Amino acid sequence: MSYSTEQIADMVKPTFLHRKIYTDPAIFELEMERIWGGSWIFIGHESQVPNAGDYITLNYGHLPVVMVRDKQLNIHVLHNRCGHKGAKIVDKRDGHVNAFRCCYHGWTYALDGTLAGVPNMKGYEGTGFDRSDPRYNMQKLARYDSYRGFVFASMNPRAPDLKEWMGGAATVMDNLCDRSPEGEVEVAGGVLRYEHECNWKLFLENLNDTMHPMIVHKSVVDAANDYIATLPEDSARRDEAEIIPPFGASYEVFESTGITGFRYGHHYDGGETSIHADYSVDPDYERAMLAAYGADRTREILTYNTHNTLYYPSLTIKSAIQNIRVVRPIAVDKTIIETWSFRLKGAPDSLLQRTLLYSRLINANGSMVGPDDLTAYFRVQQGLASTGNDWIEMHRNFGQDEDQGDRLVNGGTSDLDMRTQYAAWKAYMTNDTPLANQEAQAS
Amino acid sequence: MTNVITSNPTIRDIEELLYDEAAFLDKADLDGWIELYTDDGTYWMPVLPDQEDPVNHISLFYDDRVLMEIRRRNLKHPRAASKDYPIRCSHIISNIRVTEQVDEITTVESNFHCLVYYNDRQTTYGGTYRHELVRSDSGLKIRHKRVDLINCDAALNTIIIYL
Repeated sequence: MSYSTEQIADMVKPTFLHRKIYTDPAIFELEMERIWGGSWIFIGHESQVPNAGDYITLNYGHLPVVMVRDKQLNIHVLHNRCGHKGAKIVDKRDGHVNAFRCCYHGWTYALDGTLAGVPNMKGYEGTGFDRSDPRYNMQKLARYDSYRGFVFASMNPRAPDLKEWMGGAATVMDNLCDRSPEGEVEVAGGVLRYEHECNWKLFLENLNDTMHPMIVHKSVVDAANDYIATLPEDSARRDEAEIIPPFGASYEVFESTGITGFRYGHHYDGGETSIHADYSVDPDYERAMLAAYGADRTREILTYNTHNTLYYPSLTIKSAIQNIRVVRPIAVDKTIIETWSFRLKGAPDSLLQRTLLYSRLINANGSMVGPDDLTAYFRVQQGLASTGNDWIEMHRNFGQDEDQGDRLVNGGTSDLDMRTQYAAWKAYMTNDTPLANQEAQAS
Repeated sequence: MTNVITSNPTIRDIEELLYDEAAFLDKADLDGWIELYTDDGTYWMPVLPDQEDPVNHISLFYDDRVLMEIRRRNLKHPRAASKDYPIRCSHIISNIRVTEQVDEITTVESNFHCLVYYNDRQTTYGGTYRHELVRSDSGLKIRHKRVDLINCDAALNTIIIYL
């Protein structure tokens, strides 16, 4: 069915959400157009295309696009579609080309998408076909820009500038990069692709849902603690023992981490502390950081400790871990989550190895953490088919968010993250300029 | 010092061990399964064909004894939501051949198909195994197992148990 703007607005109440937000394919199509088409979407990292001609392909929402570096070393984000019959131009996940060439009729394109060659031009003479007409190029996305190497694109010509859109949440991406002694990160160690049979928003809502870990992850925390208890006291320290047990932290610990929400739906939990705060520091890494930044700044960087940060709707990062997860919606009840890891330039290999261990322990298809989360999302997706109750609730600490101007702050177990996301959802979906959180909350 | 091997395992010895392992996994019995591994045994499922490194590159699984022990306990935990559903597997192993025999280590490669029925869905996994087997006082044991899925780099759903 199709919905009026008023009907869509009515699906988001201050403390309730309508179940059709998660289950109706028509809503999903509107989300792709209005949220994914309206905001900035994470494309990739500059380190994935270091040389002219290097490219990666991906889906923006569910549209095929390619990120490529041209001969002037500028990065472009292009629709992955031939200007002739519409064939997808490049189909490998990554690679290197001197120019793009369509597999079907051999049309060729420069690295910025400009049509360069059409075979057998003779038949086009006198037909009105103009090879120099930009409509035949591989089309550029309306906007693309990067922040500290992270490339985003937007279909929306009127989107705010990337930096303005990120707002105060940019601090976390800064922290991720500043954790490198050289102030730069690069993609390393490959990607995990994990099919989720659920709506894309269920994954996002779990990021800063700190009422679930002690329930959902109790089994792996118990298993790890039971095993650790059997080990002799002088056993070698294991990173697993620092990574897994904090997922069973108490409500009080999670409450103390706090949640901070921003305009456009971004939010993070933690800051002064998080469940990653007590990780050991490799002494070689500490020396490299001290040499690069001095004692005060090193302490400042390493004690800024967030857990998950969401750049709504497509990217979530863990600055203290140096991994990111990228959201690729496929259908109303199907989403692919990609986990990428980063090397801190100038840091010892042990840091990347811990990042990869973390991704494997927590986010991998074969892990003992992610599959329990996914089971919960799957059950929600199934349960919301029920017509017994059209609404889900999100009351925790409602009316108590502290307004600090550019951000709202509340305890770690509050539903501030839900309020933040759905203020943005409602604004994008009703084709409004996304509202500041406080305005949305008052409405 | 090089150990002198008086008798290398026969193909029948090797089949017996591989089939025993498959039988434990078919029943999702990790208590029995773990006993087939040496204390320094490892289980690896790369995410790339020809992946060389389990530590500096992401994998679907890379478990040593510590993680095997945690996984064994996790599987039986009453509050593991993803383990609420019965896990039933059927492994077929074939094309078994010894590819290397160095000192006490016998390297064996094989092909496998595995059906996993879990949460109302049957999934087919297939690919190759590489087992490194070692003779011990308690018989032939697995020191390392590498599982190369033919679709290891696809977007896979949860892999609920070792394959």
